[in-house]
Amino acid sequence: MVHMRMVVVIFGEDVAFGGVFRCTINLADKYGKDRVFNTPLAEQGIIGFGIGVAVGGATAIAEIQFGDYIFPAFDQIVNEAAKYRYRSGNLFNCGKLTIRAPVGAVGHGAHYHSQSPEAYFAHTAGVKVVIPRSPIQAKGLLLSCIRDDNPCIFFEPKVLYRSAVEQVPVKDYMIPIGKAEILQEGSDVTLVGWGTQVHVLREVATMAQQKLNVSCELIDLRSILPWDVDTVCKSVVKTGRLLVSHEAPITGGFAAEIAAAVQNECFLNLEAPIERVCGYDTPFPHVHEPFYIPDKWKCFEAVKKIINY
Amino acid sequence: MATALCRQLVSSVFTRIPIKTLPFRSATCSLQLISRRLKSDKDRPKFDPDVDKPLFPGSRSEFTEKLQFIMPESYDGIPVYRVMNKDGEILNPEEDPKLGQEKIVDIYKKMTLLNTMDRIFYESQRQGRISFYMTNYGEEGIHMGTAAALDANDLVFAQYREAGVLLYRGFTLDDFINQCYGNHLDRGLGRQMPVHYGSEKLNFVTISSPLATQMPQASGAAYAFKRKQNGLCVICFFGEGAASEGDAHVAMNFAATLDAPVIFFCRNNGYAISTPTHEQYRGDGIAGRGPGYGMATMRVDGNDFFAVYNATRAAREMAIKESRPVLLEAMTYRIGHHSTSDDSSVYRSADEVNYWDKKDHPIGRLRKYMLRQEGWWDQTREEAWMKETRKSVMQALERAEKRKKPKVDTMFTDVYKDIEPHIQRQMNQLNEHLKKYGEHYPLKNFVDK
Repeated sequence: MVHMRMVVVIFGEDVAFGGVFRCTINLADKYGKDRVFNTPLAEQGIIGFGIGVAVGGATAIAEIQFGDYIFPAFDQIVNEAAKYRYRSGNLFNCGKLTIRAPVGAVGHGAHYHSQSPEAYFAHTAGVKVVIPRSPIQAKGLLLSCIRDDNPCIFFEPKVLYRSAVEQVPVKDYMIPIGKAEILQEGSDVTLVGWGTQVHVLREVATMAQQKLNVSCELIDLRSILPWDVDTVCKSVVKTGRLLVSHEAPITGGFAAEIAAAVQNECFLNLEAPIERVCGYDTPFPHVHEPFYIPDKWKCFEAVKKIINY
Repeated sequence: MATALCRQLVSSVFTRIPIKTLPFRSATCSLQLISRRLKSDKDRPKFDPDVDKPLFPGSRSEFTEKLQFIMPESYDGIPVYRVMNKDGEILNPEEDPKLGQEKIVDIYKKMTLLNTMDRIFYESQRQGRISFYMTNYGEEGIHMGTAAALDANDLVFAQYREAGVLLYRGFTLDDFINQCYGNHLDRGLGRQMPVHYGSEKLNFVTISSPLATQMPQASGAAYAFKRKQNGLCVICFFGEGAASEGDAHVAMNFAATLDAPVIFFCRNNGYAISTPTHEQYRGDGIAGRGPGYGMATMRVDGNDFFAVYNATRAAREMAIKESRPVLLEAMTYRIGHHSTSDDSSVYRSADEVNYWDKKDHPIGRLRKYMLRQEGWWDQTREEAWMKETRKSVMQALERAEKRKKPKVDTMFTDVYKDIEPHIQRQMNQLNEHLKKYGEHYPLKNFVDK
């Protein structure tokens, strides 16, 4: 799909040979070294350069090798990319910029190869933040991000690069940004997650049905910014119970935003407090990872708690 | 021996400056340094294990058995290119770009208009009419020299002290003062503080406050231009203080490795607010860093309009023809305070400021040059012009002052290309609030719905 617009370029560390996760494999041969290229090792440069490419009129796909390393680019993202259109009175914009980065737990990544940084960017008006749960979703959402006239950050749950296998349609298709998807309808509890966690919650829904005879409505949020508050609230109005789960640490994590908005909109519909099952407020550990992650047992226990409230 | 080797260093690193003009002392430099601009594997010396030379992928220079450091103190520093002296006298007629009376007088008028605009707008901040202002005193030569040398379609990324470039390109007095007031005619829609100008029509990217952030963006835009093969370059202005930021480093390294046609133009004016250059860097200024990145580099007298003009033209040609970044460091002096929030008398002497204002000022030097040419300029024309500039600026100020600010709803637009539902809801919330509490808000200063 990249070939459809001759002005697309993709760049970052090690992008030329195919990338450390093979995401750009064969692209340099197919589209040329001036369109698929390595940059020096500097995330603030990758994003600053990417903004400039977009301002200069080309579509820029900037790859950050690990989401854990996006922070040197934080100033360029927050103070520049996010504000480019607004501050110039719409004279300039960097809408043609898409930033991609692998995120999330992988089993052994520890502090610097496991982070989920979406909350930092949820707070940044002017960018969009999108997280796919699967290959089919990834293609549709990424194409939407690339074609969206706003700077978009596309976080790719790295554990899914290998473990998620699907028959992805070859044709061109897009999945809208800002719309959540209800994967499974239910009547008793609303489960909200994104990325890898959607699969954990799917198992939790099965466990809840089998062990507690509880019917869960499973929602993949898909977009962190803007997020689909209407779909979530409509579900909570129906079920009266909400559980939000993410790998990122609980304090200030995105579940907090969802919980605050939902209790404001659906207060009288709630049968129980909103549960958040998240990572702890520690750096992402190495050997203790199995205890850190918001696994299906912790989520199941939380479902029990709100059912019996 | 040492001197010859140093000349070799010099000749390999600086390709355009005649060796005889460089006052490099040999001192501890007997180390031969050869830096080639390696664009690809093919540019490296052949990998030949039979020859006793370094074969490392990172460097294939020469071996030495002498233990010694390259001592930066042993270099005099990159010389400052100039065309005219402080009295407006062209030193080498071959370097005079011979722009002619009409062009030079026009340049001079633009410099002085800028100067008048600065005086009156600065004063207007003191009077409480605008909230903030930054003057350009002493740097008018840089503004006009670069602007005149560029193509109107070359993209400009600037820092905040380059208003003359905008003026040259056609930004009107109304455009400047409307932005400072943030009124409804401000193309920036009143969103930013004064002097954060921008114009897509004039190819001048809107200013932002964080320093040096524009630099890697300039590299990226230049890369996009190169791919478009549009025959244009990008110019990126920044101060010697901003050059300390990490963004400056990455910008230069990216531009060099990715062969981007960008001119990095450093305005070294001696101060970053109160921080003098000897507290900003320890090496040979910003130009000294250029060769380290593999960039063609020149240092120029920023108060010499002709030097800036010639250097920028040459830089532009090289950047575009050879698809490579060029670093120009223009030495100048910030005659004014950093901004209306600064009083520089607390960190520098009046004598120092006075010297530059009276003895080495870009406007003064160009005037002296003009007065040396028969009939180009005289005191009568000077007075008439000064009167005209004051009148134009005052009238623009008075027009701008009366205009209302943009509609309150515009606070919520352009966050994204289209207004997102959650932002629309917030706009509705504010409007509901104003229906009840509107009397407590300065609504009369804003355009109605």
